[in-house]
Amino acid sequence: MKDMSSDFRDPELAAALRSALEPRGDQAAFVARVMAQYDHALDRGTVPTLDVLASWFRPGIAAAAAALIAGFLLGRAILTPAPASFDTALAPIEGQGLAALVTAPDPPDASVVFASLVEQR
Amino acid sequence: MGSEDDAALVARTVAGDSAAFGVLVDRYAGQARRVARAVLGDPDDADDAAQDGFLSALVKLGQYDARRPFGPWLMRIVANAATDRRRRRNVRRSEPLDPSLVGGGPRPDAVAVQSELGERLRSALQELPERRRTAVVLFDVEGYSHAEIARILGIPEGTVRSEVFHGRRRLRTLLADWKEQVR
Repeated sequence: MKDMSSDFRDPELAAALRSALEPRGDQAAFVARVMAQYDHALDRGTVPTLDVLASWFRPGIAAAAAALIAGFLLGRAILTPAPASFDTALAPIEGQGLAALVTAPDPPDASVVFASLVEQR
Repeated sequence: MGSEDDAALVARTVAGDSAAFGVLVDRYAGQARRVARAVLGDPDDADDAAQDGFLSALVKLGQYDARRPFGPWLMRIVANAATDRRRRRNVRRSEPLDPSLVGGGPRPDAVAVQSELGERLRSALQELPERRRTAVVLFDVEGYSHAEIARILGIPEGTVRSEVFHGRRRLRTLLADWKEQVR
């Protein structure tokens, strides 16, 4: 009784299948045919060689670096606030809302906080 | 050069050494052509698919992980190339089997015994689902492990075991019937 387990190879079946699937033509001719296609693909430039990959790599790095620097400069220009004068910074802030917020004995409610913020504008 | 390992040959191929690629093609040609034939049936289609597989592998060599064996990686590409080709030519492949090849035919001439057995096996293979016949060929003929076949076919290892088991059962039955006939 033959072992039906798939853990071991079956030499008899293997030999029969190998014979049944044996390629029709000569192997050397097949290899030559593939190599001819390889040469043809190289001529057409459809096979990326290391030189081609390297030539893509250098401009890619340069473009990425330029984009990074431009992005940094643009971001810094947008996010940096306009400089305020010294007098403006020291000017007292007036209004009842702010006074009430600072002098109240109890914690302020939301409307007082909102009023103090609106008055500053 | 013949004993140079696959990873070294791949590295040389990537560096533009066409001779190294030639060695790889020569080393795996038989296997690739048999696997493609298991998928496609027709030997000429199989050779076209095997060639497609080698050229496709060449373009993808940058994706090959040299820590893993080259054979299963290549066979996956070849099997996919064969499957693609079979899909494109599916109409041609759908012709019914000759009943005399499936069993019950006249006692074969002794001279043609081997070739007719081959024909019956090829027909039986084509009756099996594609994944099943590919799994059997990769395991019994090409000597790949279940784990390697799982990677080649992109299916779980347990499924590979099941496919090999069921595929063999059909082929062994055919082989046993054949031996009864020619006895």
